[in-house]
Parts: sequence; C-alpha cells; structure tokens
Amino acid sequence: MLEKMMKTRLFAWIDERTGAEAIIKSQLTEYQVPKNLNYMWNFGSLALLVLTLQILTGIFLAMYYKPSAALTYGGYTVAFDSVERIMRDVNFGWLIRYMHAVGASAFFVVVYMHIARGMYYGSYKGPRELLWIIGVVILLIMQGAAFFGYLLPWGQMSFWGATVITNLFGALPVLGEYLQQLLRGGFAVGDPTLNRFFSLHYLFPLLLAAIVGGHIHALHVVHSNNPEGIDVHEGQGTIPFHPYYTIKDAFGVAVFLLFYCYVVFFNPQMGGYFIEVDNYVPANNLQTPAHIAPVWYLTPWYTILRSFESKLLGVLAMGASLAILFLLPFLDRSKVRSSRYRPVYRQMVILFFITVIVLGYCGHSAPTPTLKLVGQIATTYYFAFFLLLPFLPKFEKTKNVPDHI
Amino acid sequence: MKLKNILMAVVAMTSLMVASGAVQANEHGVALKHAEIDVTDQEQLRRGLTVFTDVCMGCHSAKYITYKGLMDYPELSLSREAVDELRGEHPLTAGLITDLSPEDAKVSYGKVPPDLSVIANARRGGPDYIYSVLTGFEHDPAGKVPDGNFNEYFPGNRIAMPDPLGWLDHDEADTAELEAQAQDVAAFLAFIADPHQNERRIIGCWVLGFLVVLTLVLYLLKKSVWSDVKH
Amino acid sequence: MTDQADQSRRNFLYVAAGGMGAVAAGATIVPFIGSMMPAADTLAAAKTEFDVATVEPGQLVVIQWQGKPVFVVHRTEELLKQVDGHDEMLKDPNSEAIEAVSAEWMTPENRKYRAIKPEYLIVVASCTHLRWIPLFKQTAGRKGWGDSVPEDWPGGWHCPCHGSLYDISARVINGSPAPHNLHLMPYKYMTDTKVVIG
Repeated sequence: MLEKMMKTRLFAWIDERTGAEAIIKSQLTEYQVPKNLNYMWNFGSLALLVLTLQILTGIFLAMYYKPSAALTYGGYTVAFDSVERIMRDVNFGWLIRYMHAVGASAFFVVVYMHIARGMYYGSYKGPRELLWIIGVVILLIMQGAAFFGYLLPWGQMSFWGATVITNLFGALPVLGEYLQQLLRGGFAVGDPTLNRFFSLHYLFPLLLAAIVGGHIHALHVVHSNNPEGIDVHEGQGTIPFHPYYTIKDAFGVAVFLLFYCYVVFFNPQMGGYFIEVDNYVPANNLQTPAHIAPVWYLTPWYTILRSFESKLLGVLAMGASLAILFLLPFLDRSKVRSSRYRPVYRQMVILFFITVIVLGYCGHSAPTPTLKLVGQIATTYYFAFFLLLPFLPKFEKTKNVPDHI
Repeated sequence: MKLKNILMAVVAMTSLMVASGAVQANEHGVALKHAEIDVTDQEQLRRGLTVFTDVCMGCHSAKYITYKGLMDYPELSLSREAVDELRGEHPLTAGLITDLSPEDAKVSYGKVPPDLSVIANARRGGPDYIYSVLTGFEHDPAGKVPDGNFNEYFPGNRIAMPDPLGWLDHDEADTAELEAQAQDVAAFLAFIADPHQNERRIIGCWVLGFLVVLTLVLYLLKKSVWSDVKH
Repeated sequence: MTDQADQSRRNFLYVAAGGMGAVAAGATIVPFIGSMMPAADTLAAAKTEFDVATVEPGQLVVIQWQGKPVFVVHRTEELLKQVDGHDEMLKDPNSEAIEAVSAEWMTPENRKYRAIKPEYLIVVASCTHLRWIPLFKQTAGRKGWGDSVPEDWPGGWHCPCHGSLYDISARVINGSPAPHNLHLMPYKYMTDTKVVIG
C-alpha cells in the first residue's frame, strides 16, 4: 500500500518539496532492524502510543477542567467539581477521563517494561549510551508530569501527595526552603500550586514529545540492539522496519489495547491502584488521610526515601537512585551486552527487577518494622547492583557469543 | 523462552495486584458484609433513592446528582411528577442538597456530614462498606461509646452518625426489611458515584469484542508477512 | 517465497486489518468530537422556567434564556391599545418573515399581540440589527423620550445603537436599520402563570 501511495503524483509533488521519499526509505522501508527481536521490543512503540493517547485525552480534558482550589458547597472545590462535571455531564467525559487516568498507569507499565528490556539485553551499552541517557531524561520528565497531574483532581491524595513531595525539597540544605516555596507558590500547597501544576502538566508532555523525537532519532543512528546483544551488519540478519516491524508493532498495539480497554471500561480504578480511593475525598488541609502512599509507579522511590532515618539522607538517596541510572552505561564495563551470555549479570539483573517490585510493595503498604527492614535491604541491593557492575568483569566468565544471528 | 518467563511474571503481578485489591476491602480488620446490589436494577435503585431522600437527606447531600438527573438517567428515569414532588421549591437543575445547614450539623453532631455523591468510590469496600456500616450499630462491648455511636464496621468504631435506620435493638422481624433498605441505598449510592457505569460496561463489551477480532487479524497478518523471513 | 494462494490471503488480511483500523480510528474520534458539544448541564439550562405573575403591570423584566437576555413585559389595557392603528408604519406587521417558531399559536387575532397571552409579551431582547438590547420607551408620543423617537411614536422600544425602533409588540418600524421584528422563542404555559421558555 505504501509503495502504491509513493507512486502517486501527489506524493511526487510533496516529495519534491520535503524529500519525503528519502525520509520514508531511510526511516521505514530501508531502515534495517535485526530480524531476531522478541516481543519485549514492542514496548517502545507502545510507549509512543500511550504518550499520544495521553496528550490527546489531556487536550480534551483541559477544555473542561478548572484549576481552582476555591471552595464550593459540601467541602468540594472548583477543581474537584469540574472533574465530576467531566465524569457526569460532559459527553463521553467519563471515557476520556478514565482513558487519561488509566493511561498514566499504562504509560509507566509500558515504560518500565521497556527499561527492563534495555537492562536485560544490555541495550544501554556502547554505542547506545546517549540513547539510554535520553531515555532516563524521558523517565524523569514522565514522573514529573505524572506527579503534577495527580494534584489536579484536588482530592485528599492529590493534596497530601503534593505536600509530602514538595516538603522533600525543604529538606535540602540552604536552598531547600526557597525551592519549596518556589514550587508551592505559598507556604503550603494551595491554589497557586494547583495553577502552576496545571500549567506544568500541560507543558511536560509537549517536552516529552520533543525528547521522544530525539530518542527515536538517536535510535535510528545507532540502530536497535537485539536479544543476542551482538553487532549486526546490514544484509546479515537484518530486515527492513517496514513492513515487518510495522506489522509486528501493530499486533502489539492490538494486544495492548485489549488490556488497556479492559481496565478503562471494566475496572478503571483498578482496585484503588490507578485511581486511589482517598482521592474521591475532597482535599482537606486540616485532615490527613489514614494512610498516604504515592501511586504505584512512584512507590519504589518512596521506599528508598523512607529507608533512611534522616530526611536529608532519604531525599539524597532517592535522588541518587534516579541519577545513578544515567551512569549505568559507564558503570557496566563488560564487553558482552546480552544477559544470555552473562550468567552472573543475568542473576543480578533479575534480582534487581525483583528488588524494584519489592520496593514498590513496601512503599505502597503501611510502614511496619518488618517492611521497613525489607525496604532497607532492598534499597541496599538497589545501589549495590550498580556499584558492583564495574567489578563484575573481574570474576564473571561470559559465555561464547555467536558472531551472527 | 525469555518471553514466556516475562509474560508469566506479568500475569503473576497482575493477579497479585487484583488479589491485594480484593483484600484491601477488609483493611479495617473486620470483614465487611457483602451487599447484594445490582446497579442496573431500576426497582432497587428507586427504592434506594427513596431511602436516600427520606433518611439520608435529613443530613447528607449528593450535590452532583440533580433532580433533572433523576429523570434523565435511564437507570432511574423518574417521572416529572415524581421529581416535582421530591424537589418542592428547588429548581430542576439543583443538586440533592439537604436542608440541614453545615453550621447546625456541626452543633448537633460535632462535624459536617460528608456529601454522598461519590462516597461509594471514596470508601474502601464501596457499597459493601455502606451496607455494613448501616447495619453495624451495636452496643459497645466496653460500654464506653454511647449507644448509637458505636459501629462495628466504622474505623475506630466511634461514628458521629446516629443509627439512621434504627438498626440497634430492632425487632427480629424487621431484620430483613432493614437489611433490604441498607442494600438498596448502597446500590443507589454505588450508582450515583459513577452514573455512566452501565453505559460504560455495555460499550466496553463492544470495544473488547472488536479488539479481539482485530488482534486475531493482525496476528494472522503478522504470521503471514513474517513467513518471508528465514530464521 | 509465497505462492499465489498465500499472497491473496495476505492481501485479504491487509485489507481486513486496514479496514478495521479505519473503523477503530473513526470510532475513537466520536467521543472526542462529541465531548466538545454542549454538556448535559449546559443543555439542562437550555430551558428557563419563569413565573410571569412576578411582573408588575406595566413593568419590563429581563431574564436569561440560553445565555441571552429575554424581555418579559406585563402589558396593561392601556399598553395593549397602543398595538393598533399604526400598521402602515411597520415593516412586517404580521411577522411573516420570522414566524416559524410561533406558527403553532399565532392565530390571526393575536398576530398583532405576538404573545400566547396578550398581556404578557415575551421576546428575545436583542435588536435584530446588531444585537444590542433596546431601551423600553413604552408610552406613546415624544413626551419624556425627547427626539430619540419620532413625533408619532406609538410606544415601544428604541435601540440606542443605530436608532432602530419597535412598537409595543416589538415589531420593527419603517426606517429602522433593523431588518426584522424582535425574535420570539418557543415557550409554553405549564400552569396559569408558569412559563417554560425554550
């Protein structure tokens, strides 16, 4: 179909003015991809899909959402009222809002899988270091966008979550208090905070879209890694992206949409994981909810924060746990990429994934002494994983790597 | 191979999440009673509305549900006459708002009764919780909390709401009737918390059906196209 | 490579997938565009209920309907008399150009009153020229109104924007820039005095 389209006169007219044919050839029909990518490589295109859905639904929600903490009848606020108006009165507002709320979680599911794949198969290693670093920037901006967005319904979790997180900045020496007020626009989270968070929540996804463009560009320069983790040269085990991977990605999209739509239509709160129960209670600055935990996708880092007695140390550790991701390509000095040929790294990275899940579980649950200890052990391993990597080649005996796919 | 492991892990995690979601309903330590509700049952929803307007609305509001909504939502579809009788002097576009002022409520009960529009989503256990609390008034075994303020299912057991259905010391013969009232109002509150939920589930069935076929077609297409690639 | 049968099967699958994809995309657009249509609470405000008994005899009240101003005038016997005797001054004495909404109840007798109940005139309060709100100058003659109205003023409305004139049934007077009489909107009496507009 694409070939037919490219033979039309309209296409020729466009091509003359944009070089469209060369772009399509270099990026799609003649862009070479290893033929042995497994389904874990589908999560990149899925992330792009979810980002598009989030921006689209977000634009339409913004037509009705009102970022104001002014009180209305019954202890609600203008912001909460406007969300309920979207859910009740706006045509298909319920659908668009649930798509957006579930999409936030779906985004993290997909991106975490994408990251896990990159770690397992060594996709972050040379020559893809910068590709990985851009990816980490995307993760950070995503977390920011999610955090800003979570304040907008102005429920109890919105309010107290924002209070806790902005408070963290206050723990930093010298600049702390200044930063905290800069974020809040007041002495506590309030109307000015809500307004700026809405503004930033609209800005960040647009930033994301631009950086994702850079991520894809960087990928197309260095080309995809593959499960064997070996360099592949054109003509030896590669196939063009189109039609093979466009079809495979389309199939992945359909499978993803099955899960996504199931949640959107039948279980949008996901038992309080995607939209928390307490967020249906309007924000009240005089009463904390019985149990505060961030949304599931931020809980691993929340556990790292809680694992330290000193607030400052906790904040620094949480920052370090994210910052260390930038260093991963330089900490790992092994010549071999894929875990398939690195027995020790394979054990370590699987344990790392389990650790992150354990951290997430601890962060979600009410703190008990046992869970705190578990959280501290998990935190220790989280950092140990990275810090052991430089020494790994000294005692890891890698298996023989095949020279072609 | 790897893929299978990963898929297994995803399935395991999902089921864990769903399971812990189910367990969460019992967070207060006491297992909630299960409310027999059906948010598509017009009879039950209308009975629940009656309990709501006759009992709950003495103190509570549901401001996001308007009198007009009672006519417009197909699940309720009250007649104009019935709505006119309910609303009295209130305009059609007004929410179901109690006549009790927040100031008076504070004097009488020590706190302002919460708005009930989204209460079924705002409490763990939703309708089960509502049903359990309404039929959970007991005499305090320790004898500290006065009668009418001790509730087995309310977190901390001390509730400001005085036994609205008269559950405490009710006649054995009335048990079924009171339980039915509590379930009906739980159904009504579950409905108004998300009034498009039935529509949502119906559309969802069509969407999922369509997607299953689409997935199948794309799977066959993918297999067909990839049959060119030699491994 | 594939043989003929495989190729045609693949083509069929391409068309099926493409068609279903197009259906999916089309169906996705519906809720998004639909969400931009007026919401249920906006539509609920499309009808305005009003009790005309609250308007004193001779008084004009401006109410809102769909975000637009609407005049409700309680015409006394005296004002009702002012409806007659100046048909030659009117562009469209029988409101033929804009009668669509009122065709149902506009009988030949009450055509000059332009109301279901002659004593209560209910019209959209926007001059048909450039949508200003005309001023109510109900008494006949120039007395009190100065030269904003002509010598033979039958009583009615004067639009300060470009000087359009309407009589006491809101019919436009010859020489005004306004093309039509003030518009009527659909309305009906629920009870003796309760009107539902819209």
